Amino acid sequence: MAKVAREMVEKAGVNVDQLLELLIKNASAELTTYYYYTILRANLIGLEGEGIKEIAETARIEDRNHFEALVPRIYELGGKLPNCMKEFHDLSACPPARLPENPSNVMEILKVLVEAERCAVRGYTYICNLTAGKDHRTYDLSLAILNEEIEHESWFSEFLGEGPSGHFMRRGETSPFVSKFLK
Amino acid sequence: MKKFTREELKRYNGIDDPKIYIAYKGYVYDVTESFLWKGGRHQAIHHAGLDLTSEIRNAPHGEEFILKFPVVGILVD
Repeated sequence: MAKVAREMVEKAGVNVDQLLELLIKNASAELTTYYYYTILRANLIGLEGEGIKEIAETARIEDRNHFEALVPRIYELGGKLPNCMKEFHDLSACPPARLPENPSNVMEILKVLVEAERCAVRGYTYICNLTAGKDHRTYDLSLAILNEEIEHESWFSEFLGEGPSGHFMRRGETSPFVSKFLK
Repeated sequence: MKKFTREELKRYNGIDDPKIYIAYKGYVYDVTESFLWKGGRHQAIHHAGLDLTSEIRNAPHGEEFILKFPVVGILVD
């Protein structure tokens, strides 16, 4: 644990135990999303699905990166991941992004993807609000993740016909915002 | 429609009863089936068995996320 780092956050008025619970819940959401997106990606097939598969894969890899980036901060602040994977899954900040009943319906898969991203956008916005001006490191990390989650949401939203995302898909490297936390 | 006092509502906190209820703007909602209300807590901050009307202000979502749950009663003082 980074004792002084935790003290500074506490002195700034943040309930660190509550913050840790939120970080662990969001770490769970990232890792479980990575798992569920693996299944969604595998089912993005055919003329419609293949065009979305690559972008779903980018979101999947970046969500795993978010998990990797969150874990050190959890331990720095004196928290830890649950020993039990099932317990970890069930405390997720977002509902499971399960394969829809009709896996051949690409629009239904897109709805699952966009709802998962929207849940993440809400979650990191909340953590940013909670830590802004108080816990600079968690804020910086959460903001970096939020930037990527917003892009994921806009990609899937565009495919659902909700309007242009304003973005181009990634060229080469993933996690343009979060990568600095992974080095 | 069933009437709940604040004291009666407390029982549905996710620990004392299998049913999980919250109150919002005078109505009591059943959130038992929600993945995000498991154990009677929501996002580490909000607790079931209480009137959460004032807490929505700080939530990163609107009231539509509460209104979608079934209404099981009204809150009386």
